Amino acid sequence: MIKITELEKVYRTEEVETVALNKLSIEVKEGEFVAVMGPSGCGKSTLLNILGLLDDPDAGSFVFNGIEVAKFNERKRADLRKHNIGFVFQSFNLIDELTVFENVELPLIYTGMKAPERKKRVEEVLDKVQIMHRRNHYPQQLSGGQQQRVAVARAVVNKPKLILADEPTGNLDSHNGNEVMELLTELNEQGTTIVMVTHSEHDSRYSHRIIRMLDGQSVTENILI
Amino acid sequence: MIKNYLKIAFRNLLRNKGFSIINIAGLAVGMASAILILLWIQSEVSYDQFHEKKDCIYEAWNRAEFSGELQCWNTTPKVLARTLERDMPEVEQAVRVDWANSHLFSIGEKRLTVNGSTVDSNFLQVFSFPLLKGNATTVLKDMHSVVLTETLAKKLYGSEDPMGKIIKIDNKENFTVTGILKDLPLNTRFNFEYLLPWSYKRFLGDDDEYWGNNSTRTYVLLKPNASEASVNAKMKVLKPKYEKDEPKWEMFIYPMSKWRLYSSFSNGKEDGGGRIVFVKLFGIIAAFILLIACINFMNLSTARSEKRAKEVGIRKVVGAKKGSLIGQFIGESILISFLAGILAVILVQLSLPPFNSLTDKQLSIDFGSIYFWLSGIGFVIFTGVLAGSYPAFFLSSFKPVKVLKGTFKKANALVTPRKVLVVLQFTFAIILIICTIIVKQQIDYAQNRETGYNKNNLIYHLFTGDIEKNYPLIKNELLSSGVATSVTKTSAPLTQSWSDGWGQEWEGKDPNDKTDFFRYNEDEGLGATAGLTFVQGRDFDLKKFPTDSTGMIINESALKVMKFKDPIGKIVKDNGTEWHIVGVIKDFILTSPYEPTKPMLIAGAKAWFQTMLVKFNSKNSTAQNLNKAEAIFKKYNTEYPFEYKFVDDEYAQKFDNEQRQGTLATLFAGLTIFISCLGLFGLATYMAENRIKEIGVRKVLGASVAGLATLLSKDFLKLVIVSFAIAAPIAWWLMNAWLIDYKYRITIEWWVFAIAGLLSLLIAIITVSFQAIKAAVANPVKSLRTE
Repeated sequence: MIKITELEKVYRTEEVETVALNKLSIEVKEGEFVAVMGPSGCGKSTLLNILGLLDDPDAGSFVFNGIEVAKFNERKRADLRKHNIGFVFQSFNLIDELTVFENVELPLIYTGMKAPERKKRVEEVLDKVQIMHRRNHYPQQLSGGQQQRVAVARAVVNKPKLILADEPTGNLDSHNGNEVMELLTELNEQGTTIVMVTHSEHDSRYSHRIIRMLDGQSVTENILI
Repeated sequence: MIKNYLKIAFRNLLRNKGFSIINIAGLAVGMASAILILLWIQSEVSYDQFHEKKDCIYEAWNRAEFSGELQCWNTTPKVLARTLERDMPEVEQAVRVDWANSHLFSIGEKRLTVNGSTVDSNFLQVFSFPLLKGNATTVLKDMHSVVLTETLAKKLYGSEDPMGKIIKIDNKENFTVTGILKDLPLNTRFNFEYLLPWSYKRFLGDDDEYWGNNSTRTYVLLKPNASEASVNAKMKVLKPKYEKDEPKWEMFIYPMSKWRLYSSFSNGKEDGGGRIVFVKLFGIIAAFILLIACINFMNLSTARSEKRAKEVGIRKVVGAKKGSLIGQFIGESILISFLAGILAVILVQLSLPPFNSLTDKQLSIDFGSIYFWLSGIGFVIFTGVLAGSYPAFFLSSFKPVKVLKGTFKKANALVTPRKVLVVLQFTFAIILIICTIIVKQQIDYAQNRETGYNKNNLIYHLFTGDIEKNYPLIKNELLSSGVATSVTKTSAPLTQSWSDGWGQEWEGKDPNDKTDFFRYNEDEGLGATAGLTFVQGRDFDLKKFPTDSTGMIINESALKVMKFKDPIGKIVKDNGTEWHIVGVIKDFILTSPYEPTKPMLIAGAKAWFQTMLVKFNSKNSTAQNLNKAEAIFKKYNTEYPFEYKFVDDEYAQKFDNEQRQGTLATLFAGLTIFISCLGLFGLATYMAENRIKEIGVRKVLGASVAGLATLLSKDFLKLVIVSFAIAAPIAWWLMNAWLIDYKYRITIEWWVFAIAGLLSLLIAIITVSFQAIKAAVANPVKSLRTE
């Protein structure tokens, strides 16, 4: 599903040049659950942003679903993104002014789905993440674990092929963290590919394979299954 | 999608109540001011634009030299109208309109004095004042016909049909109502409640063929294809043809489109002055106030951008394109602008009555008009797009990666465009503060000027009906009943000049002297009645000196012109009479309190009289005096109402115009300061949010609250000082130009600028320090943890 080859990304300011990705090559197959680990500044987040089509690489190739997307412009990336990729962030990133239901509904609005169908789909997903009873609450009225479950629901409501999770349990206690990890595992078992950046060895054990990064390169790969 | 946008927009408004109130209120005040001013401008430019033949209607003017300067004015000889029709093929019709006068209308026992005009019978064919009843070509044909306005007809006849009814006018002649006019619109220079035919004036012996008598207005209707220039070429040489003594006296015609707004001449040429100056000035002020309100909106919106940044990021991540985000934010600002628009209309409705009395107009919003709705919606969308465009582009350009990862940082606290804006706002505000102070000073200065007579307890009454005939009886009874201490017959009210002229002769006069003298007449006792000061000689006293009927009193300015060593007994020849000087008075203000007093000649009882001046007895209350005086006037002038006026009220009216300008300047200054403060407040909020981490670090390192508040306020105060440096010279220049029209005026003092500068600094400090102190006292732990 994902194949990147010799990917490079360099951040420049006036005085310093930081190499975030240094000829990185990895591959993720459909249905896999991959954890990306490594110390701060090793390029994990940059990798995730590029995989999520939020950022573009300076050099190298990125084939997504058989299409070369490394040179896509913003508009094309946005199009591809909204139909194929869901995001889960460490800090949830829910819109405070919208209710749980409306937050989850948002991606469907941008794909132009009709209201009755949206309602059905959102309710399905909310049911799945067991947050249906809180559908009319605002994010601040929920616990961290509940907020992250809403964020996961929003990430999957479009039925994306790929979910990118950036330290999804980073802001949660272990109990809530485990709940979210189990939710992700469940989604993976239903066929969604997941790439997750994490610091937690505990969380990484939920994945099939761990990619360890250092200075913008992949150093080892442990296959868990 | 729209529903989602609306939802977000409304929830945002509700969540940030303070911000929303500032934003909507600021925009609403800006819009309301702009609407008021636009209504005013609309009424000014629409003056007399409803006449069907407006493009062919002109007014005849004179241009002639006096004391070395070309003067222009628009009263013309009565003979001009027929002469133009006869001599110039381009002229289709000419119409004479005399000064609106009041006449007594009697219908049976009902009596009313009403203001109306005497006009040539073709008046209604030239001007488009629609008749509800009657035929425009014939209504004024007969000498005994009268045309009433709808309101007057109602007043006189109630619901009865007035057509064909008889009205006795001035207790002399019977007139038949031949037509009913629709009430005049407010935006016309004409002001009459009825029209009488010119033939009645002729019947009264008040018509003449004399080219030297400039006493009526002459309007000219040109043929559709006639050229103004060719008519003017002929007008230039018209007067000398009929009046051989005035070889250089020119006349010209002036188009209707310029009557209201221009009509201002210096030395014989249009000088670009007139009301157009105010129309332009107000237009600029309206645009500025709206612009400032809009830019405030931009500032406040961008100031909150951090809070909206996450939303933008998420929307982008889940698939929003930049275009749809721009659409969303502009839509939001149109929504705010719409709410502000509603509030603005309410504000306008509330402020129209005082604004109308201030500007002496009857402006209103015409809710039934499609133009109102179209222009209103256009105005709202324009304001919304104008105010929302910058925030929309600014917000929608956020990079989601940065926003959502918390690495999002904004630029420096005070960005240059915002600095420029604050400077612009405060420059404007400071200019208006300075103007307000100087206008008020000038009014005070003129109001405190010595008038030269005693206005207290002094009333006048114009001669109506039998007053002139019964004057001795009325005077006698006023004095004997103790109502008045002194009564004098005069030519005009003490606050107006009804006659002036040159060409008097006296011993030793320089033959080139063309000094213009005010002419005033009194029978006797004006010195006592009005409290004048005599520097030489005495007042008229007909009992002791019967020859005082051809006596003359001059003022000190006149004495200076005439250069008599010993003026008493000297002869002044004027209007064919030899007057002998009996006294010299100190100058008093007859006309404008802003002008130096002019030379003045007061002629004795042989002259003409129109007014009586009564000094009430101060031992009685004013109400008692008025009651008794009314009874006496009624007794000797049975047919007419008692219509007195207080001289001090009349004098106070001389300041109306300047008072109005002063109030308007105060109003605009207040509004600008208000809106500018909102802007400053928004910027201070923005700054406080931006520097929250810096403040936290400084506090952890030991900075005091006072030190931090100063640090945060300093930048803004610098901007106010820069504004002051720009505003002061502009205000000085503007006010100099304004004052130059007043011969009797103040000099601009430096402390006015100091006060304005300090005031604006103070306002800025109060506005900014609120946010600065709030930011400074905040717990640093909180602000630092957000990293």
